[in-house]
Amino acid sequence: MASTTDSLAASPAFTFSASTFQKLHPTEYFRKFISQGVRPDGRLLDSFRPTTVHYGVITTANGSAMVRIGGTTVVCGIKAEVAEPKLDSPDQGYLVPNVDLSPICSSAFRPGSPSEQAQVVSEAIHRVLKESKVLDLKDLCIEEAKAVWALWIDVVCVSYDGNIYDAALISVMAALLNVRIRKPTYDEGIVKVPGGEAINDENSFKLNLTRIPLSTSFVLFDTDLTLLADPNFAEESITQGQISVTIDEHGRLCRISKVGAASTSQSLLKQCIERAKIRSHELRSIMNQQ
Amino acid sequence: MSRLDRTRTSAHQLRPFFSSQNLLNRSDGSAQFDFGGSSVLCSVVGPAEVKLRDEKLDKATIEVVARPLVGLPGVKDKALEQNIRESLEPLILSGLHPRTMLQIVIQTMKDDGCILSTAFNAVILALLDAGIPLKSILGSVTCMIDAQSSEILLDPTTEELSRARSTHVFVFDNKSSVQSEQGKMNVDTDDQEAGTSSLAAVLFSDSTGMFTEQEYFECAHFCFKASQAVHGFIRTAVQKKLEKEYQQTQA
Amino acid sequence: MASIKVEQTGSIISTGPQIVLPGDLLPSAETGLLEDAPTAPVIKLGPGLQPMDDDSIAAVKAGVLKHTAVGNRWWVESNQRRYVAAAGESVIGVVVGKTVEHYKVDIGTAQPALLGVLAFEGATKRNKPDIKIGALIYCRVSLANKDMEAELECFNPSTGKADGYGELKSGFLIKVSLGLARRLLDPKTLILRLLGQHIPFETAIGMNGKVWIHSAEPKHTILICNAIKNSEYLNKDECAVMVKALFEKL
Repeated sequence: MASTTDSLAASPAFTFSASTFQKLHPTEYFRKFISQGVRPDGRLLDSFRPTTVHYGVITTANGSAMVRIGGTTVVCGIKAEVAEPKLDSPDQGYLVPNVDLSPICSSAFRPGSPSEQAQVVSEAIHRVLKESKVLDLKDLCIEEAKAVWALWIDVVCVSYDGNIYDAALISVMAALLNVRIRKPTYDEGIVKVPGGEAINDENSFKLNLTRIPLSTSFVLFDTDLTLLADPNFAEESITQGQISVTIDEHGRLCRISKVGAASTSQSLLKQCIERAKIRSHELRSIMNQQ
Repeated sequence: MSRLDRTRTSAHQLRPFFSSQNLLNRSDGSAQFDFGGSSVLCSVVGPAEVKLRDEKLDKATIEVVARPLVGLPGVKDKALEQNIRESLEPLILSGLHPRTMLQIVIQTMKDDGCILSTAFNAVILALLDAGIPLKSILGSVTCMIDAQSSEILLDPTTEELSRARSTHVFVFDNKSSVQSEQGKMNVDTDDQEAGTSSLAAVLFSDSTGMFTEQEYFECAHFCFKASQAVHGFIRTAVQKKLEKEYQQTQA
Repeated sequence: MASIKVEQTGSIISTGPQIVLPGDLLPSAETGLLEDAPTAPVIKLGPGLQPMDDDSIAAVKAGVLKHTAVGNRWWVESNQRRYVAAAGESVIGVVVGKTVEHYKVDIGTAQPALLGVLAFEGATKRNKPDIKIGALIYCRVSLANKDMEAELECFNPSTGKADGYGELKSGFLIKVSLGLARRLLDPKTLILRLLGQHIPFETAIGMNGKVWIHSAEPKHTILICNAIKNSEYLNKDECAVMVKALFEKL
């Protein structure tokens, strides 16, 4: 690598500092690290950034959580609202996840309508919640064909440094675990949700989650498709392909997605699944510490 | 077990394919691809002039626009756009046309399940029609695992999908088939692996629902076999088109 | 044309026109190629073929694989509608802009091509043709580079003569596929011969798929344009029937 000092001895025509080299040739800079089996931030290729989970960070929400993965911070708040059920499913409530990537978290995002990435992550979370049947939507029914609970799941990214899908999904699951909804009463077309006194086990209920899917994401670097776990923003911007494996507490798969980059062998996918099993176990112990 | 789709007898049977290339007059390439009752029309414009804001100095800018069957484009269409764009980027030799724009528009015409797979196949036919330089072609097939019987059904209809425990979309290029041919020889010597063609490289995979690792790789195996039929179909479609063009110069 | 084997997974190995799709590999040097050209291990690649990362040579477009034993040249003949400039090809363009040094000419490529104001036969700073915006120009591509706008000229560089290049006055311009334009340039082309048997007309054919037609009467011009466009996917007999029917209706 180019030296930082202007040495007089047989120096090449150009010498520039490591940071200049990184700006000029981000991919080449990165490749030099990878060839040594380490990443610029000091991590090994398959290691994850420190992750923390905090529950109940928003007191006005029915459930909330804040998740940090390295430099990425997301806050998830869940608001339960009484709503009319959909016609084709009169005894089921519904979940509306939304991920917000506003300019507040990174200069990479512009104000205005939600970016493509935000929409894609929202859709991915929505599909995992719905198709993996994370909770029985019938639990959210107040009175059939009259009133159900709608859960507005809003994920706001406060600081963006890559791997938003993993962070958002952990925060959604943590917030769902944290949800407490006051027991409503239904009488002659009017739903009454008592307020006032402090929330306790008597006057409220928790959600009964059938499974807790957590995801582990990787990016594929260069033409030889080197696998990098838990990518940060810089790593995401110089790579083309991602693999995400979402897994529940029994080791059953909920989602596998491989998008971009050249074709990858199935043994590489197997490797990702194995790594995801270990990582999801670690994440679960982090979530349980709180 | 019989399928909900009465027109098919076997779980691994695909619906009839249909394709038509060069249907739009004003685009540089276009194609329609049908899987039975699902149909997608795709147009390609390019290499064309690019907006200065999107210009890339060393390669073409690829833009994918997805239009839904009814209503305004939503979150699902954005996800479709991203999936297709990111899967095509490594396939298109965009370095041959720097500072240009390649616009791909996908319009759903009929929806009876497997729209993502139908769109992938329509896009590759449209790109071939437009003469865009590609590293390889691709073929996509969707499968699902039935919630009750846990059977793998290929190319499900909307009705069948409503009973799915999980759905799996796979895309394979025609390079991966070369690798798997070589792989098969190794597999044959290794009896435990013989059931799965585990060396068929995956270009794109999107699975959601509830499934085991074993089921996932079984799905990959069946979709890989079915995608060979799609590759063959694309080859025949191109062949037929070329024969029409050459009939004057031949004989 | 020699039949060759293409290394492909399916056993689609046929004689006659060999159709290739992107990703199909050219037979490696040890097999087909050396048999065809034992003395020349050098391969010249034309359009539609590219060396890949793993040193194999693969098709990048769908079309018919062709080769000549002389010089061991290989290429894929494919059809498309969007023109990508290649040096030496004759094209027809529309003047869309003018600067002190260049005309900007739309020849159907991503960016307008540049035609020097002095790139005409015998043009000097004092005496040069004045071409209006919107005029049609028949010219040749003198320089084509993927990173730059193409450059055009209106004279034959070996003789300095116009050789038919220059502004096309009156007449009518149609757009056809690049494959049809190439076929029309063949002196034996059927459709132009058939039309010529009925009415006299002038034509200029650009490799960029633009065809200029000029005849004595507008209705003849329109008929010729329609006949050319219709001929693309017809066989010889159908072409003759189509032309005959058009003239009967005239």
